[in-house]
Amino acid sequence: MIPAEHYVILSALLFVVGGVGFLVRRNVLITLMSIEVMLNASNLALVAFNRSRLAHVATSSYVVQSHTGQVFAFFIIAAEAAEVAVGLAIVLAFYRLRRTVRSDEADLLKN
Amino acid sequence: MLSFLPPPNDYVLIAVILGMPLLGAFVNGIWGNRLGKRAVRLMALSAVGASFVASLIAFMSLAQLSEQDKGAHVKLVWNAWEWMHTTGGQGATVPIEVKFSIDQLSGVMMLIVTGVGFLIHLYATSYMEKDKSYARFFAYLNLFIFAMLVLILGDNLPLLFVGWEGVGLCSYLLIGFWYENPANAAAGKKAFIANRIGDFGLLCAMFLLVQYTGALDWNGIANGASSLVHPGEVYRVHVWPLGGGHYEGFLHFLQPDKPYTISAATAVGLMLLLGCSGKSAQIPLYVWLPDAMAGPTPVSALIHAATMVTAGIYLICRLSFVFVLSPFTMMMIAIAGALTALFAATIAVVQNDIKKVLAYSTISQLGFMFLGVGVGAFTAGFFHVFTHAFFKACLFLCAGSVIHAMHARIHDDDKAQDVRNMGGLRKWLPLTHWTFAAATAAIIGLPFTSGFFSKDEILYRAFVDRTVNPENGVGLLKKLGTFAPPVWIGPVLYAMAVAAATLTAFYMCRLYFLTFWGDFKGWTVGRPSLLARHEIAAPHAEPDHVDDDNDDHDAGHVHHEDPATPGYAPHESPWQMTIPLIILAAFSLFAGVLNPGFGILKERPMDHWLEPVFKAASEKAVIFAHNNDASWAEHMEWPLALGGIGAFAIGTTLAWWVYISQRGAPAQRLAQSLPGLYRLVLDKWRIDELYEATVIAAVDSLAETAAAVDKSVIDGILARFTSLVVAASGTILRAFQNGVVHVYAAMMVVGLAVMGWFFAVPHPNATVVDAGHDDYVVTAAPGVGYAYRWDADGDGKPDKKDFGVDTTLKVHVEPGKSQTVNLEVRNSFGLVRTKTIHVARPEEPTSSL
Amino acid sequence: MNTAGTIYFYACALFALAGALGVVASKNPIRGAMGLLLLILSVAGLFLALHAQFLAAIQLIVYAGAIIILFLFVIMLLGPSASTPSDRRGIAARVFGGGLFGIAGLAALWAVVSAAMASHRAMPMPAPDDSFGGIDAFGSVLFADALVPFELSSGLLMVAVLGAMAVARGRQGQKSMSKNEQEVADSAFPVEKARELPGQTTGVFSHEIPAETPKESAS
Repeated sequence: MIPAEHYVILSALLFVVGGVGFLVRRNVLITLMSIEVMLNASNLALVAFNRSRLAHVATSSYVVQSHTGQVFAFFIIAAEAAEVAVGLAIVLAFYRLRRTVRSDEADLLKN
Repeated sequence: MLSFLPPPNDYVLIAVILGMPLLGAFVNGIWGNRLGKRAVRLMALSAVGASFVASLIAFMSLAQLSEQDKGAHVKLVWNAWEWMHTTGGQGATVPIEVKFSIDQLSGVMMLIVTGVGFLIHLYATSYMEKDKSYARFFAYLNLFIFAMLVLILGDNLPLLFVGWEGVGLCSYLLIGFWYENPANAAAGKKAFIANRIGDFGLLCAMFLLVQYTGALDWNGIANGASSLVHPGEVYRVHVWPLGGGHYEGFLHFLQPDKPYTISAATAVGLMLLLGCSGKSAQIPLYVWLPDAMAGPTPVSALIHAATMVTAGIYLICRLSFVFVLSPFTMMMIAIAGALTALFAATIAVVQNDIKKVLAYSTISQLGFMFLGVGVGAFTAGFFHVFTHAFFKACLFLCAGSVIHAMHARIHDDDKAQDVRNMGGLRKWLPLTHWTFAAATAAIIGLPFTSGFFSKDEILYRAFVDRTVNPENGVGLLKKLGTFAPPVWIGPVLYAMAVAAATLTAFYMCRLYFLTFWGDFKGWTVGRPSLLARHEIAAPHAEPDHVDDDNDDHDAGHVHHEDPATPGYAPHESPWQMTIPLIILAAFSLFAGVLNPGFGILKERPMDHWLEPVFKAASEKAVIFAHNNDASWAEHMEWPLALGGIGAFAIGTTLAWWVYISQRGAPAQRLAQSLPGLYRLVLDKWRIDELYEATVIAAVDSLAETAAAVDKSVIDGILARFTSLVVAASGTILRAFQNGVVHVYAAMMVVGLAVMGWFFAVPHPNATVVDAGHDDYVVTAAPGVGYAYRWDADGDGKPDKKDFGVDTTLKVHVEPGKSQTVNLEVRNSFGLVRTKTIHVARPEEPTSSL
Repeated sequence: MNTAGTIYFYACALFALAGALGVVASKNPIRGAMGLLLLILSVAGLFLALHAQFLAAIQLIVYAGAIIILFLFVIMLLGPSASTPSDRRGIAARVFGGGLFGIAGLAALWAVVSAAMASHRAMPMPAPDDSFGGIDAFGSVLFADALVPFELSSGLLMVAVLGAMAVARGRQGQKSMSKNEQEVADSAFPVEKARELPGQTTGVFSHEIPAETPKESAS
């Protein structure tokens, strides 16, 4: 039985990796993928916490233990899929405008 | 008989007297242009006329009242509302009400203002006929009558001041009536500013009065007047001439070691003298009156001859009981008056503009009035105000009539008024000539005219009267003594006044002869040529004739500037202008019957009428010279009168000899032999230039300094520097916005890290609350996952070994002592931080003061 | 301690970290996408270990099955321009930001771990029910307690679809830019041409990006 702390530590490591990747990389596509990494990390943490604290709920007839974390992770996946779709559309529009996918070039708001 | 009138203590007819001119001003001012000239004329005349009729009725009520209370100082009072109240120097509340009163003095003045005002309004309806701002003129003129009436009828000093300022304003508006000409506007400004300098004096006097006498209305000041000289040191005013500093060496003489001490009465009197000098054009503030001739002639007649300039003398008469408490001030008034009379007369001798001569004559006569009231002859001075109103207004209106005639051909203002272009006008302007002659006779003191009686009374009283302090020998004054004018002041003043009277006779006769006698020097009089006749029929088409000076104009005639071309003779003025002249001339000849001297009438009417008003002043304050020798004074009457008659005779004869028999040759020779002196006197002794070089230059340089400071310091530092700081910080901050997302993200991380640091590290904090009985409760601030450990005695060793969750600690502290408490906080991450708290108790207060 | 479970966990964890590092450190976006795929698969495996079967399945279907594919499509659309050669401009801010974040994160991790270890208390791990994490349990929670978020998220997806179409489509009615127009556009926003990777030819990927969706599309 792996204690839940290990999952949380792993999630934290993944989050740090993803965050550093987001901050360091200049390629917009890689940036988006780093965001995916971060979100996956948080999903992992949610599910781990859900597994560790199984409070008894009495609301529904079928379910005895709470699935809040998993449901939350489910919604994260859904929302984040939408985010990726729109983000990639923006990348395409940006590419059409500037012929590049470097985030440095998106500096029309300079000064 | 007059029982249907309001009662004397609530005499609302005053509202009609005041309200009609105000209504006229209002209607003419706002809708005048739309109403048309006839309606404007009717409105203005009926406003002043109604005011005059109401004044007559009020005067008759007053006369009836005075009959009933034999010899008392009666008043018709109307209290409109309370304006404000303040606290006086005596600690009592001083109410300042909008309260009007008619007593014997203001009754006469009111009749003068409305009566002469009405005649001048009538005159102006014809004189200003061709002016395009007809309605505005009558609005201002009515407003002036209103303000003057407020001044006269006001029952307290603030209300008088309202009227004072009001007439100053109307004077400014009317002098600069033709404001398109900048010289006229400048003259208006000069009048207002010179008046303003005087107003400062009046305001200071008001402050002093409310402080010392605790009242501002005439009754109140009279009741409290003795506290201006009584009783002790606290009522004396200490004057440091140059501020309170101490100067060494050379400047030591400027600043004595101890201040000058003057009585409060002197301070008030001198301040009031400043105010009256401004309004009544005495030295040194007379400079505005000659320039004021830039206004239309009816304005000069009404404001600068008959009414406004006499407001100063009216104020002195009104507060006579205050002035007599300070013989020094009385002497100053008399000296100022005599000096002004002589000074202005010298200037008038050489002036060539008819209105300027009359202006300086006004200043000179005002000097006579000041002389009269300055020696304590209040009634004499006031009687001269009365007669002067008539003959001076008549003189000015005649001058206007002459100018009106001259303007038919000569359009340049200065040339039309220049006496050297006139002469022999008595052929064509008979009515104007005779009225002018009558008024001139009055002013030069032809025996038995009104001017003769009033002026000679002043001369007589200047010689024989002495003023003494009525509180002499009472209280502190017994020890300190009072100022008494020197014995030789009477004869000196008399001599100056006689000299001024001689000059008056001379220059007035000179004016009269040069204008109405001799040969006409304006243009060739005869039938205009046929060529001119054609141009009379055709409308104006000459391009060379610039018709822009808005002044006394007579359109409809063809104007030829060439004096050689014959033109129509000068014509007499219409009835609206000549009827007032006749009435005023009659008054100037025969009004002397109201106060004749030399025992002609046993009881002099005006003396008797005004006696209750000046009783308080003249009873103890004015005595005869030579230790109050009444018989000596009586014996001096005829000899001194001879002086006055002699002045008249000499002046007139000299003028006749120079200008009629010698045709002006001696004057020319004198001017050529002393060209420097002649130019100096012609330039009014260059007083204006002196002011310009000293006072005005100082103010100008101050203004320039202020402008430079404003530009460099305020604009440069305050405005531009602050904007520079903002711009610079903007430039710096903008460098952070380089548009790159990563940089923004990096900055977000920085912020996140700071926040994280705040949350990751524990922050110990505690508050101290006084729980009574010398106990203090120290409460630690809560935090997420915090555990606390206390150290109550501050020795560095915690009380317990473990971190607990109790957040409060009770500490007992004696008064005057302090206690140090240590708090250690550990958060969930295991980091520990310490904070030292000082609990101090202040000393118990030993005594409660 | 279950040996197989331990090995399974550590294997999945290792693969997950490898995948994440691959995403972050790869020059080629295709390599990055593959790393992401590895991560996703590992995380799905970890979900299985945590008794979240349904979620693992969803993870595979949505993430690996849709999102990765979307990434790959876009990368292929962009062609060789999808990868950017590295250069040193602006490296300071990036390194600073990334370094600070990394250090802060690791420091926080270390702080929490040391505090937790010092407290000598473990997270509870009660035994789950049989139906825990299954599709029945999940569905009953989703459609009963979490119905509102469910509906909202469906709305969100609809909006996202519309938005993506609107943004990616470009100007309506405008044909794709011709070569001349492309040159004009290039000159208006000049891009450094010295970005060609050495040895790269025109590439196998398409250069032109359609400005509008194909007409025969059913949208």
